[in-house]
Amino acid sequence: MKEVIAIPKVNEGKEKHRRINPSIQRVLLGSIVPILLILAWEYLSRIGVFPPHLLPAPSIILQSLMTMTTDGSLWTHTSITLYRLVLGFLFGTVAALIIGAAVGYFSTVESLLDPLIQAFRSIPSLAWVPLFILWMGIGEPSKVVLIAVGVFFPVYLNIVSGIQGIDRKLIEVGKIYHFSSWQLISKIILPAALPSFLVGLRSGLGLGWMFVVAAELMGASTGIGYLLVYGQNTYAPELIISSIVLFAILGKITDAILKGLETKTLHWQDTIVKK
Amino acid sequence: MLSIERVSRTFSNGTTGFKNIDLKVEQGEVIGILGTSGCGKSTLLRVLSGLDKQYDGQVVIDGETVHDVHKKIGMIFQEPRLMPWLKVYDNIGFGLQKKVQSKIAQYIKAVGLVGFENHYPKDLSGGMAQRVAIARALVTSPEILLLDEPFSALDAFTKMQLQDLLLNLWQTYQSTILLVTHDIDEALYLADRIIILRGQPGELYQEIKIDKSKPRSRGDKDLAVLKDEILQLLDLSHSKAI
Ligand SMILES: Nc1ncnc2c1ncn2[C@@H]1O[C@H](COP(=O)(O)OP(=O)(O)OP(=O)(O)O)[C@@H](O)[C@H]1O
Ligand SMILES: [Mg+2]
Repeated sequence: MKEVIAIPKVNEGKEKHRRINPSIQRVLLGSIVPILLILAWEYLSRIGVFPPHLLPAPSIILQSLMTMTTDGSLWTHTSITLYRLVLGFLFGTVAALIIGAAVGYFSTVESLLDPLIQAFRSIPSLAWVPLFILWMGIGEPSKVVLIAVGVFFPVYLNIVSGIQGIDRKLIEVGKIYHFSSWQLISKIILPAALPSFLVGLRSGLGLGWMFVVAAELMGASTGIGYLLVYGQNTYAPELIISSIVLFAILGKITDAILKGLETKTLHWQDTIVKK
Repeated sequence: MLSIERVSRTFSNGTTGFKNIDLKVEQGEVIGILGTSGCGKSTLLRVLSGLDKQYDGQVVIDGETVHDVHKKIGMIFQEPRLMPWLKVYDNIGFGLQKKVQSKIAQYIKAVGLVGFENHYPKDLSGGMAQRVAIARALVTSPEILLLDEPFSALDAFTKMQLQDLLLNLWQTYQSTILLVTHDIDEALYLADRIIILRGQPGELYQEIKIDKSKPRSRGDKDLAVLKDEILQLLDLSHSKAI
């Protein structure tokens, strides 16, 4: 009796080992070099190789982050930056989804709109900044619009190419069953274009972060980008580096959320499992 | 009820899929279509289904000229064409306006996929995927069923089972069936009439009527004689035409 109980326990342990080990191992391996670099940086700062008014020690940066956390300013700036990003990202994505779906599906819409959109795409998006400020002032609207413009193009391009790359043979199956246009779109075209839509979302998010920084640099009194400018004007390098670290952390988290969404919705794909 | 009048299909690049095909198909008739690879069998089915509208001549179903997919048509393509994002169960119910669970379950059983309801197409073998496609077409019990080499990816035993399934369906619903196949035995087992296409572009070369009640015995002697005849008709070296 005892043996029977003991055997599954051993197996359980083995399986756990097998499952957890590789991912932990990868994290451990990946953090060796950064940790060594940070230690070296700390050491070199302490013995005075790096001038503290240009490159403060990691401990000082951590300290400035801690102070910001306790006095609440960290949350104020992070939340307003996230708010701008999310709003711009949503507007840009919704616009890209609607226009991209129409351009991808209706060839007349494509010949009407695509040349214009391609022309606009060749304008570096930051060139819009003065115009947006002129139109909307330096308040929230001009920032959100700028971010939306940045997010729009990668999402749009991926949706259009996703829809145009759909296997015609799958659409024929829908036609055999007399699907209406709406049924074709919702039951075949959108699911089939989902992978490239998600790719578009992720690169759109990357650009979104870039444009948040740009928008906040161009005139803001809150936000992480504002902290960058503020740190520059007050000769506080620890503030600048703290902001950069914040951008890195937030960028990674938001990307991980989208990646999680991707693995969750695309588990039917043949390739996603291997990643 | 289905009449094909001097129908040809020439593609925009100048190649002709098939030409001058005349055929009248009665309600409930099973037509086997045989022909060498590339003679236009798939193209013919696409024209009949209404998916391919750029044909010359006339295809008429119940007095209506076909310009679009007719509501009586069901089709099994040469490839499974499953939706990769749907599980087996949902793929089979794909064409049903109302997903009747018992009906889907019945066809999952009929094609031998019990236990695979929740698999995605990527986790199926080629033959299993084709069986899902067969179930997806049969579950809507179409009045006119077009099949493009539906069983060619299957092993001999499953093939016979599914041929019998098709036969059952035909007996229950009196469906009209047009079956493209490379398997002469299959045509002889199921068809009331066999059409032989020859050439490239393919033309209607010969029609053979089989007046034997179904279900037939697979080892029938008369059918064996017919099989020899058909083999000779298909073999290019034995004939003078073209
Ligand atoms: N969309 C197309 N455009 C141009 N030519 C085509 C097209 N589809 C088919 N063809 C040509 O038409 C001819 C008939 O093709 P089809 O697929 O109907 O042959 P098939 O009889 O079904 O062959 P198989 O038995 O190998 O399936 C071929 O020569 C093919 O190259
Ligand atoms: Mg074919």
